[in-house]
Formats: sequence, structure tokens, C-alpha cells
Amino acid sequence: METFNNSKPILLFLLLPCLLLYSLIAFNSSSVEAAMHTNNWAVLVCTSRFWFNYRHMANTLSLYRTVKRLGIPDERIILMLADDMACNTRNKYPAQVFNNENHRLNLYGDNVEVDYRGYEVTVENFLRVLTGRHETAVPRSKRLLSDEGSHILLYMTGHGGDEFLKFQDSEELQSHDLADAVKQMKEKHRFKELLIMVDTCQAATLFNQLQSPGVLAIGSSMKGENSYSHHLDSDVGVSVVDRFTYYTLAFFERLNIYDNASLSSLFSSYNPSLLMSTAYYRKDPYKRNLEEVPVTNFFGSVMETIHTDAAYKALSRINSGRFEAQTSLDQSVHHIERRMPMKVNDQEETHNIIPEGNKQLLQGEEGASKCPWSTFCNKFRKGENVDILVNYGLVAMIPLLVILTWLVQ
Amino acid sequence: MAEISEANDSDSSELQDNGSEAPQRPESEPDFDPKLMRKTKPGLKRLVLTFSVLFSFLLGFPFLWKSVEIYRSPLPFREIDSLSTQLRSDNLLFPLHFHALFVGFDHDPDHLRRSILLEITKLTSQNPKCSNSYTLSVNVDLGSHCLHSPVSSPHSSSYPCGSVTATDFVQNDDVAVDERLVSVFGGKTKEYIVAVVKGGSERAVVGKHRHAWMVVGGGRKVEVAAVKVAELLVKLFINGGREEGSIRNEFMPVGADGKIVLSFNLLNADPLDWVYDWDFEKIDDTLLAPMIEALGPVANISVESQVLYHTPKASFSFWNQKLESYVFSTKDLPFFVNSNEWHLDTSIAAGGRSNILQFAVYVPSAKECPLLLQLPNGEISKTNGFISPMWGGVIVWNPQGCLNDSEFEPSAKNIIPIQDLENMFEVFIGQFRQLFGFKSVNVYAGASGDWNLLPSERGFTEWELDVLSRQHTCFNLHSCATTLVSLSRLVQSLPRMIIMDDIGKQVKFSLEAAKLALSNASSGAYESSAAASSQARSLAEDAFFHPSIMSVSYYSFEHCFAVYSPFFLPVSMHVVLAALRELRRYKQEKAKYLVWKAKANTSS
Repeated sequence: METFNNSKPILLFLLLPCLLLYSLIAFNSSSVEAAMHTNNWAVLVCTSRFWFNYRHMANTLSLYRTVKRLGIPDERIILMLADDMACNTRNKYPAQVFNNENHRLNLYGDNVEVDYRGYEVTVENFLRVLTGRHETAVPRSKRLLSDEGSHILLYMTGHGGDEFLKFQDSEELQSHDLADAVKQMKEKHRFKELLIMVDTCQAATLFNQLQSPGVLAIGSSMKGENSYSHHLDSDVGVSVVDRFTYYTLAFFERLNIYDNASLSSLFSSYNPSLLMSTAYYRKDPYKRNLEEVPVTNFFGSVMETIHTDAAYKALSRINSGRFEAQTSLDQSVHHIERRMPMKVNDQEETHNIIPEGNKQLLQGEEGASKCPWSTFCNKFRKGENVDILVNYGLVAMIPLLVILTWLVQ
Repeated sequence: MAEISEANDSDSSELQDNGSEAPQRPESEPDFDPKLMRKTKPGLKRLVLTFSVLFSFLLGFPFLWKSVEIYRSPLPFREIDSLSTQLRSDNLLFPLHFHALFVGFDHDPDHLRRSILLEITKLTSQNPKCSNSYTLSVNVDLGSHCLHSPVSSPHSSSYPCGSVTATDFVQNDDVAVDERLVSVFGGKTKEYIVAVVKGGSERAVVGKHRHAWMVVGGGRKVEVAAVKVAELLVKLFINGGREEGSIRNEFMPVGADGKIVLSFNLLNADPLDWVYDWDFEKIDDTLLAPMIEALGPVANISVESQVLYHTPKASFSFWNQKLESYVFSTKDLPFFVNSNEWHLDTSIAAGGRSNILQFAVYVPSAKECPLLLQLPNGEISKTNGFISPMWGGVIVWNPQGCLNDSEFEPSAKNIIPIQDLENMFEVFIGQFRQLFGFKSVNVYAGASGDWNLLPSERGFTEWELDVLSRQHTCFNLHSCATTLVSLSRLVQSLPRMIIMDDIGKQVKFSLEAAKLALSNASSGAYESSAAASSQARSLAEDAFFHPSIMSVSYYSFEHCFAVYSPFFLPVSMHVVLAALRELRRYKQEKAKYLVWKAKANTSS
């Protein structure tokens, strides 16, 4: 049946890939300049529902807090939480989410901006966020507005298995879907570098099919291994954090925004005996040396800044031009004019000239009001005192009313 | 059934015959064997019934096929590929005309022209993406007569001899000189003109339009002047003052739909100390509106403004006794913007693919006031401002309460004085230029000397707008072509994905706009080609990011098969089997009848 469908343009489809291949080779051979690293984005996804998956929510919120503390603003974080634990009826501590049984840190304290909540966290929405194909009405805060200079941190946690990640207990994200989305992102230059962290069972299988360059991926366990939770909080009643995320947070609690610990130190801080699984990372698509990459490249905020050397003297140019034009009109054209005392082309402050120019700009707004009638008219025209006028009118009607009733009687 | 009934009939006829007086069994039927013969022709009813059912199934099959067909709007794959190959191979997109005028020099114009061209080719970088083709014509004005080269060029021969003299340049009023040059050369709009004049003091100025002039002192070699002219032509008129000619992506702040939103924010760090407000509308009309209009072909710009309170910065500053102020250094700049407290991105008007540039004025609190930026070489910055590419710019403004405590009475709301506001906005315009890759200073320091750049009221001079138009046209066309190629590759890799009409139309219009941009570019109309290329890019992006192209929501062939086969397979099997069985039976009966007929014929 498919051959029937494609029988006519089959020759075209044979020719076109050859042409496309040629153009692809030709395009890649021309030098594409590497873009400068301009900003960092974070996409944090928790895919599990139900109260007993409290730890996945706590994982995601802990990472959200870390990433904000290190400088990434809310407008560059997409936080997807599949269920609400803070206001869950089974939560003994309402509006509080903890990731440790000492309850030292309330993750849901203040300034938490959740972009996709509850049933909005679906595979389709997740892929739409990654590829950027939203409906036109989706607001900017729900879009991944990265460009070719962005570094993106993608963190996913929940229940997973061999080459899949479970969403909402009803659908799955497969590894080839993820690889396809990343490939499309790369084609459209939506990121410069991408770091994928996955904390699920058999996490490393989720990025088996990734081929795009510039992608670094780490999973909490390999194929056939489970990822375990760290400890149970007997007060809240459920496990509150997973091991992989717990040790990641322990690493980041020691850092502040000025530090430059490298990614290789992060990856080597994972101890398989403590994790009870092997944290496996893939760096073959990622061409840089991990020793040289600071963690703040992904987890912190980077702003490339350039100092502004001078103001653009457009306005003072206008004023000084007028000033000079006026003086030049005084003299006849063919005389050699004397050298002007102010050189207006360099960067000295031209405070002398500006006040005169300003007088020309700011004239005529307030005319001096001579008689009260004109002020009254002005005010009336401006419409500021219409209320007072109405009140005057009403007040004036009362004596009129009194007189009329007296006349009638 | 019929057999039995016929058998019954024959039996009943036999019985009837037996019932009558004489069983008259005709001797003409001696060997009638019901299993091998039959007397009557077999009916066609059963065959017609089953075959009509089969036929109706077959008739309905094309309708079923049509109903599950995937609608794919036809995309012009060939044109997309031809556009992409054309852009890659055909590099000479923009024609430029240079005209050099030498006043008061007695030199051979051909020689001058050749030396300038040689210098130009030395300086031109190899830009793989877009390059320019240029023509150069040289005029030597000796007052009494003129020589020009090349002789056949219309540009050089149309110059009115003697219209520019050395006396025009003696005055030091650059604006007037610029106007004079405009009045002389005003007719030819797209030509870049350099006038080299022999005069007293050395001076090199680039005007607001497309003219530049150089006053060369006596005794200087004209070859040196030629080198400087070539540098001007390549570095300034072609490249706009950037170091390399290629386009860096971080200096292209125009969003994918061709729009930029400028968001101006006044940040009061601690409103308990003082609260400042500004008269934004006036400044918007005087300073920003001409600039926005000038950039119309390049980007569609809209402006918003807001005032925020309780917005401290995230980095630290230190008290400097010598300067008597708080000082922060350039190392603190990446950490200055406190994104937790500065809620800048509150624009509802910006669409999903526009780019927002934030411009923030930071008013420090009393604890940190005055706040100055110290550069690495120890100097204090004159502007107190910095930019971050693709994000925007920040200026720190110290209120009067810091600078002289005595005369300041804090009131509930203070307005920023108008001259400070104008100074601030001049810095903003400088920062806006920096975001586009230009410099904010008014001097270009080249290898062979400095050039003064006259500033324009619109923020960008005409030659700078030309540079912007050319670079944006180049960037937009390449971006459009790569987007369309990616889209066609994606569409062809998923043969069962629905392609809606919208996408087909957007691709068609994008290709038309790209063709228009290319034709405008080759004829030298920079602004219209920039506008057309921006439209081409935005349409291509709309097509690529159409929300219906989602790989999870198209139906694979296996899915279609699995949906329809549980019903159609068993039913069709039964129908076909029934038809075959009826056909076989009909053939058998027919054969039986023929045998009987043959027997009857032979016996009769």
C-alpha cells in the first residue's frame, strides 16, 4: 500500500536525497562560526503523580532552588511538576516540601514559579517545549526561548525503564522521541550545549540514541539497575529524596556563584557504593574536555558583559549644531570663520550647551495665567476640574429650586 | 436446498405419476442420475447475490482508501533546494559604488585608482557567507579641469568639475561641510564618496550621509592618503567599523518574527531612601522615535517602559576613600543583574518569537551611593553602563541626594531631571548601537589613522543603516534557507505526517519574499531587500514552528492497519470465500446440466 502511494514521485524522492546530501555536505564544509555563550536555561521535569512519589517532586524542587541560587532567573527556567505535593491533602506540613528529614529547608518557601503543572505535564507538551512548536497563544513564560548561544540543563526524574520514561502513569517518553527532539533542536540552533541529567531506574538507556553534537548526558543508573531513594522521612511518611539527586545537591551546597568547580569533579563525586547504582555519563557527542568546563556553565548564570565606552552624542549634536549654525549665519559665507571654542566631536561633557538647548526644547508648556477667567478656561479645557464644575452646578441649582417653589406657593 | 427440492419435485412428480392409473415413465430418461445430472439450468440468483456483495465491497474500497489518506499540502521542494544552492554559490550579493575625489592634487587618476584597489583587496576578508562587489571611480579636480578614471564610468564622468574646492573644508564646522557635500552630490543616493583635499590642518571625518572627507596637510604623500581611503572604504563603509566582516550571531538581536521589544525599566533599589520617576513619553518622542523609524526596514520595534521598586543588585561594591564613592569593578558586571528581584520580563505584548531587549536604569540606595564603575585600568567609567549581548543594557544613575546632600529635600516622588534623562538616553542609544555590533564612541581608530564619525539624530547614520541592511539581509536569507531546508528534510522523513495548507502557503510566500530580497539586493536597494528578507525569515520560521508538526501525533502505517483490520479482514474473508464457493457450485451444476443435455440429445 505504501508503494502504491509513493509510486509516482518515487523518482523525485530518489533524486532529492542526493541533492540534499550534496547540499548538506557543501553547507557543513563552509565554516560555521561558533556562537558566544550568552545565557543559561534550565528545563526541570518531574513526571510522577501520586503521594508516594513525593521524592520526585522534592528532587525537582531541590534542583530548582539550586539553579536559582546560582543565578538562573525564573524567566529562563521551565519547571514542570506533574502533581502538587505541597498542597496535597495527605501532606502533614501544608505548603511545605522537604528534601531531608531534618526539615531544615523548605523547598516550596517563596518565589516558586511552576510553568507546567498537573495534567499539563504530558509527553506532547514536553516535546513542544523542547522543539518550540507551540500554539500561538502560549505565553512566553511557558516557552523555551533559547538561541544559539544558550546552554541548557535538562533534568528529568520519575519512574523509568529500558529506553523509556513514564509520564503521569499513563504514557511514555521513548528514547528515540527524545533523540529526535534533540536533533531538531540542534538543527534549529536552539542550544549551544545541552546537559541532560536523568534520575530514574535504568536512566542511562534513555539517552542511548542521542547523536547530536554538543550534548552531554548523565543518568543515575545503567541498564538493569534501579535507582534508589535516599531515606524515608517517618514524619511526612514517604521517602523524600533520591540518592543521585541527594549527592548532586550535596555537591552544590558547597558552591556559590563565584566558584568554578569543573564538571568532571561533579561527575567523579558520585560514589557507586553510596548510590547503590552506577552513575553513567555519555560524553562522546560532547567535544570539550570536562576538566575545563565549570559547572556554572550549566547550573549558574553567565552574562557576557561589555562596557559602554561613551554616550552617543546625538542630542548635544543637535543643540551644538544649531548653536553653530546660528553663529555662522551672522557672518558672510566667504569669510574664514574663527575657530569655535568648543570642540563638539570628542567626548567632553557639553554641559554649557545643553541648558540653552533645553530651553529651546521645554518652552511653551506653562503659559503664565493672567486673568482667572483664562485660567478657568484652561483648566476646563484640560478637563481636570470637571467634577468641581458639576458640583458648582448642582449647588447653584438648590437656591433656584427654593425660589421656584416659593414662587409657585 | 434446490437439489433437495428438485429431488422432491421429481419424487412428487413420480408419486403423482404413481398415483395416476398408469405409471408412464418415459423411456427417454433411462439413466437419470441426480448426482451427475440435472434437468434444469442452474439459476443465477445465488451467484448474483454473492457477487453483488463482493462487488459492493470492491466498489467501496477506494472510498475507504481516500478517507484514511493523509492530507499533505504539496511543498515546493525543488524551489527550496534551488534557493539554498543559489545562496551558497552566488556570493556576490551586494553591489557597492565608491567614488574618490582628489582636490588639489596633481596625480594620475588611473594610478590612484589602482593603488586604492590594491589596498582594498588586501584588506577585504574572505567572508564565506556574503560578499560585496564594488566599483571604484576616481576624480582628480585641479580647479581648472578634471581628470577621471575609469573613463567610461558614468559615476566619475558625471561629477561637475570645480564644484568642490579646498576652501569648503577650511572651516571646522563638520556639519556644514557635510551639508555642502550633500548639496553637491545629493543626486546620486547609493554612492559612497570620499573627498581628499589638500589643506592646512589634518582632519578626517565621516559624515552623516554617505560622504567622508579627509584634509591632508602639505607635504604628505598621496599614497598614504590612498591607504587611508581604502581602509575607510573597507572597514567603515563595508563593515561598519567592526573588526571582521563576518556576522556574529550575538549581535543580531532581531527576533525570528522580525520584531524587537525595547523594555525600559527604572529600578529603585530601596524606595525607603528615595523614589524616582521619569517623564518617559517626552524622551520617547524626541530621541527614540526617529531611531525606531530609521530602523524600520531592519526590525519592527516597539517600546515599553515601567518603574520598579525594591530591586537591589546582586553583586557587591566597596567604599573607595580617594573617590569618595562606592566602586564596583568590571569583574562584578556578570553578577550585577539580580534576576530574582528584578522582574523585568513582564511584557505581555511581545509575541512568542520576538526578542526583548531590557534597558535598566539602576538608582542605588543611600547605603551604596554614589556608585561608580571602575574599569580594569583604574579609570572611572564615563557612562556607568554596560551591555550584555542579546539581553540589553544597564546604566547606574546616582541621584542628587548622594552627590550633594545639603540641597536635596526628599519628597514622596522625585522626577529625574531632564538633562540627566537626556544624558542617560544618549548612553542608551550608544548601548543599542553596541547591541547591533557598532561602537558607541564617535571615533574610529584605524591602522592608518583616526576618523571622526559624525553622530546622527536618528542614532544611526545612513551608511551605518546601509551596513545594517546588508548584514541583516544576508543573515535573514541564510537563516530562511536553512530553515526551509530543515523543514523539507523533516517533512520528507515522515511520509505519513499531515501537512496543513497553512504550512504550504507560508513556504510559498517565504520563497517569494526571498526571491524579491535577492533581486532587490542585486540592484542595490538595501532597505527593501532587508524588509523582504526579514519577512522571508519570519514566514519560514512560522512554517517550521507550526504546532501541527509533532512527531507523536501522526499515524504510522502499522497503526492504521491495526485499527481497520479486525473488522475488515474477517468480513472480507467470508465474503470472498462465499463468492468462490458459489462460483464453484455454479460450475458444477452447469457441468451436470450439460451432461444431461448431452445424454438427452444422444438418446433422442
